[in-house]
Amino acid sequence: MGLKSQWESGRLPDLMGLLARLVLGVVLIWAGAVKVTNPAQSALAVRAFKVLPYDVAGYVGYGLPVLEILLGLLVVTGLFTRQSAALGGLLMLAFIFGISWAWAHGYSIDCGCFGGGGTIAASQTQYPWEILRDTGITACAAWLVVRPRTPYSLDHRLFG
Amino acid sequence: MRPDASKKIATVTPKGGPNVVIIGAVIAALVVLGVVVAIVIGNNSKPSSSASGKVAPVGVVGGTGGGILADPAAKSNAPTVDVYADFQCPVCGQFEKAFGPTLTALAKAGDIKYVVHMMTFLDTNLGNDSSKRATNAAACAADAGKFGEYHSAVFAAQPVKEGEGYTDAQLTQFATTAGITGPALTTWQKCTTSGQHDQYAADVADTSGKAGITSTPTVKINGKDVKLSTPEALVAEIKAAKS
Repeated sequence: MGLKSQWESGRLPDLMGLLARLVLGVVLIWAGAVKVTNPAQSALAVRAFKVLPYDVAGYVGYGLPVLEILLGLLVVTGLFTRQSAALGGLLMLAFIFGISWAWAHGYSIDCGCFGGGGTIAASQTQYPWEILRDTGITACAAWLVVRPRTPYSLDHRLFG
Repeated sequence: MRPDASKKIATVTPKGGPNVVIIGAVIAALVVLGVVVAIVIGNNSKPSSSASGKVAPVGVVGGTGGGILADPAAKSNAPTVDVYADFQCPVCGQFEKAFGPTLTALAKAGDIKYVVHMMTFLDTNLGNDSSKRATNAAACAADAGKFGEYHSAVFAAQPVKEGEGYTDAQLTQFATTAGITGPALTTWQKCTTSGQHDQYAADVADTSGKAGITSTPTVKINGKDVKLSTPEALVAEIKAAKS
């Protein structure tokens, strides 16, 4: 009964939204921060997926860490929550696609999601875990797209 | 025309509050700018490709960033065996131990065109520059006609712990081991110290990467990927490719 009234009063959804914001935002900032200092490695990690042409993969590798950090900051502070969460979620879907692609093609790579990346021994691959993790983060993003209203957000502060 | 609610909304919206559209546009612009700047910086940080007027090492085949022909003795009908490796890659060290002597012997007999592409991506992985320095040094050895010997000497001394790399003193030691002596050694030393073939190393990384080589060692016979098992199996595949 307690849970139900908490849900109906909106406090539980508020709390979940805040949690979703923190998880999605912190993961994005973290993932970007560990990669942003070594753009060459990041480019290498993207190339290892063999999804994009060589040069394009390089550009993605250079730009992605910065995009992740900026999106993460928006999500954590709750500014344009719905839009930033939507972009973050699309990013996660792209990662899931990339990892599945590599898995399906039999490449042995580290996703390089949090630094590192590139080819590794087949026994070291962690595709199921990487996909599961990104699916969980996508769920956080989806929640925020559906219900972007969360406590302690700049959206709330600035735009009421 | 459909009734438009925007006027009504405008009257209800409190005046003087922050403008969502303007703030949104500014933030979107900042995000795009940040990403573009990162791409430009990243793109500039990689060594500029070719056209620096430097002469490619002796024995390079297949244009800019091509591999080095380990032995010039190849007969005209010999199949091409391309090996992509990195001097710091432990599996490449194992490959060299297991398959190197066989390939070298075949190349010496002229039965294969043994083309070695030395890549440098482990420098990025490990955060050092040993792959590039060793590749430059090996290319300088190619100028002295001792590429194969130098290549073997480096792999024979590969550190047990990945990432320790090679010191300059070691690189010089390899030259001696490879049989580079006298004036040739002086030339080699100058070539190595000045990084004369650093650009070549960068070109090989670029060309091989564009060709889809993302892991080492990769072996191709006449351009086709080979699954590695035993040297005997490799020899059989080479024989099959010849006929």
